[in-house]
Amino acid sequence: MESAPFNFRRLVIWFGRIVLAAIFIYAGLAKMIRWDMHPRPPIGIATSLFALQIDSYQMLPAWASLQVARWLPWAEIAVGLLLLIGWRLRIWSTIVTLIIGGFFAAVVRAYALHLDINCGCFAKPEPLTGFTVLRDGALFLLAVLMTVFAFQEARKPHPWSAPSPEQPS
Amino acid sequence: MNRRFILASAPTLALVSLVTLITVAAPTTQKSGAKKSLTAAGGAKTAPAAQAPITVNGVANIDPTKAFGSKNASVTMEIFSDFQCPACKQLFTTTTQRVMDNYVNNNKVYLIHRDFPLPMHAYSRVAASYSRAAAHIGKCESVELALFQNQEKWEMNGDVKGTVAAVLTPAEMKKVQELVDGKTLEALVEKDKQLGQAVPVNQTPTMIIHTRDGQSYPVVGFVSYDVLKTLLDQIVK
Repeated sequence: MESAPFNFRRLVIWFGRIVLAAIFIYAGLAKMIRWDMHPRPPIGIATSLFALQIDSYQMLPAWASLQVARWLPWAEIAVGLLLLIGWRLRIWSTIVTLIIGGFFAAVVRAYALHLDINCGCFAKPEPLTGFTVLRDGALFLLAVLMTVFAFQEARKPHPWSAPSPEQPS
Repeated sequence: MNRRFILASAPTLALVSLVTLITVAAPTTQKSGAKKSLTAAGGAKTAPAAQAPITVNGVANIDPTKAFGSKNASVTMEIFSDFQCPACKQLFTTTTQRVMDNYVNNNKVYLIHRDFPLPMHAYSRVAASYSRAAAHIGKCESVELALFQNQEKWEMNGDVKGTVAAVLTPAEMKKVQELVDGKTLEALVEKDKQLGQAVPVNQTPTMIIHTRDGQSYPVVGFVSYDVLKTLLDQIVK
């Protein structure tokens, strides 16, 4: 039996791809460009400011905060674009889920420890509050659903891309 | 090229175009920069007995008794802190001390300590008053250090006075007590608080790092010296 072109699972996958890709690309660019600052700082200073935000979570040693600050924005942009393109979706959606899971764990930990810090999610000064925890939780849930559904969908090929049934000779 | 590829590429192109548009078209006007806010809040009263506030590197309303380093330094760093906040203690006893040693004492950074007592802390306002009074008799560093190092003790019993008295001579303590009782310097503590609210400071500690070319960088929460150093090394000239 041929599956419908748009069912709940496919809608979740499409929605997840577009929303999470947009968020990842925006977050990566925001950390490097810092369009909340006027004048915009050079990328080296923007990276150092992001490293300070990571460091304020008090989870990583200084050298690790600096390395994460250097590479995470680029990784966010790259993974966001790959998610949007949809190439090897199961791989990239799994990676996105792991990254968001890491963010969510860091935010929950900071909130539980009552750390008065900024989220650092989109680089701009944004206090870490209960709303931040809920927002990251919702994004994590979306990423998990998208990944699970992407694996389920792989077992049922899309009717538009499925091989055509053999014509009787 | 199949239909699936075309459908997958459409949102990619749309999003990339949108992000590019936002990046190019982002406004370049000043929104709520820290320095602008600080200057804007400069209209409050000052204590008659206090030293006149000074302006350094465009940062106004500096109580010179709570500032350290050379006024010609290329970087000015304001630290808004609360004596009863654990992260402020951590920052003061680790990172700030090393910044003092390596940047302030070498005339690279001008450091300003701003009082930002939070209403949720019962004794932080009292501690700020004693600290301010001690600063005005030239004992700022020793009293601040004593208050932070003994934070757990006086926040339990409220004995701020005893903590301060332990590091001052009786004559010094008498002068400090007179200033505290006379509420002579309360306006300066209130002024710092107003300046912080204008930034706005939402959490303590909050550092605002100002460069000579007018840029301000806010840093919120406790940060380690090694990470802060990478930023300072880029902006100190």
